[in-house]
Amino acid sequence: MSGQNTSEQPLAPAPSLRELFFGMLQVAISSFGGGLSAWSERIVVEQRRWMSDEEFLTGLTVARLFPGPNQINMAVYIGASFRGLAGALVALAGILLVPFSFLMLLGLAYFYLHEVESVGAVLSGVVAAAAGMALSMGFKIAGQYVRDPVAVVFAAAVFLALNNFHQRLIPVILVSGPLAMAWYWPRRGKRELQP
Amino acid sequence: MSLAIPVLLAAKAACEPVRMTDWHNLLGVIWDFLSLSLFSLGGGNTLLAEYHSIAVHKYCWITSDQFADIYAFAEAAPGPSSMIVGLLGMGAAWREGPLWALLSGIAAETAILLPSTLVMVVASLSWSRFKDSPWRMAFERGMGPITLGILFAVGLKILQTADHTPLAYGVSVLVCFLMLRTKISPLWFMGVAGVLGGLGWISRY
Repeated sequence: MSGQNTSEQPLAPAPSLRELFFGMLQVAISSFGGGLSAWSERIVVEQRRWMSDEEFLTGLTVARLFPGPNQINMAVYIGASFRGLAGALVALAGILLVPFSFLMLLGLAYFYLHEVESVGAVLSGVVAAAAGMALSMGFKIAGQYVRDPVAVVFAAAVFLALNNFHQRLIPVILVSGPLAMAWYWPRRGKRELQP
Repeated sequence: MSLAIPVLLAAKAACEPVRMTDWHNLLGVIWDFLSLSLFSLGGGNTLLAEYHSIAVHKYCWITSDQFADIYAFAEAAPGPSSMIVGLLGMGAAWREGPLWALLSGIAAETAILLPSTLVMVVASLSWSRFKDSPWRMAFERGMGPITLGILFAVGLKILQTADHTPLAYGVSVLVCFLMLRTKISPLWFMGVAGVLGGLGWISRY
């Protein structure tokens, strides 16, 4: 976002596989308190100068558009842009190694200890808070669709199919996806209401 | 060194957990995650209800309460919350001992990430050709409302999985409100609620 000053300085040469791995490792470790996306930008654009701001934002667009976790997709984009498939896999390993190992340790501790009463008591509070986070996900993106009645109808239909009619996710997407794509297929002159 | 955890699934006796040492089951599980991978719209959380149905109802690896616990870990721990799949894989093979559990966790996480990663590699390398294609625009705009509908359904499912008392529902709604209106890190909400739970003020049932 803060384009000017960074884009004036020249970019660094394309990172090697090794540099990709350690760069992504640094992103993962730096973001231990949260803010993975901001750290990724700081390290890849500002510190290491692998990409310009513009290239980075393009990457974010691609990462959000395609299936998969956004931050992981971003690492894959960075790796693939410089070193193809090998770069993507190396970047993926770099971004996942520490957080995933940490989570696996947490998981091992949990499965050993979850029968302990005090652990269960603490968790009964934690899960209520976590459920609140899950609930907020829909509301967070709802604002951009409320003025498009067709979008609301699509969202409501998908919600009802999953929640009230207990349909599975994959068939719901396979049916609603093409319909929505047909409706939103870009046409000249008609309905150019970009959110 | 298989430490026997005696009543891991006592409550759900009706549903027989599958054994992950049977390669047939293992392949089935890997296939489930592989096939879900490309349907993770909007960053991955859209798959949570599917994960619940696979882990709790289809294969009976864990109870619904354990699913709520695991979801909380995935949200609280650093890194993308879609790493919950690693924890599910771990729960799936816990009966065969911690080493199997670890391998199964890694296998499950690899399976959920592999297809989307390969697609992402192709997308990254050919983006300039896709950029202005009508397919891209239709996909981007069309998938938005669908993601919205899925996220509401997923949020409700997690809510029903985690909360069983009016107080717990109240805590969740409050956290949801604070998440939308403030920039406070969610770790604080989980920390405070954890302390309240430890003091016995919030109980699961």
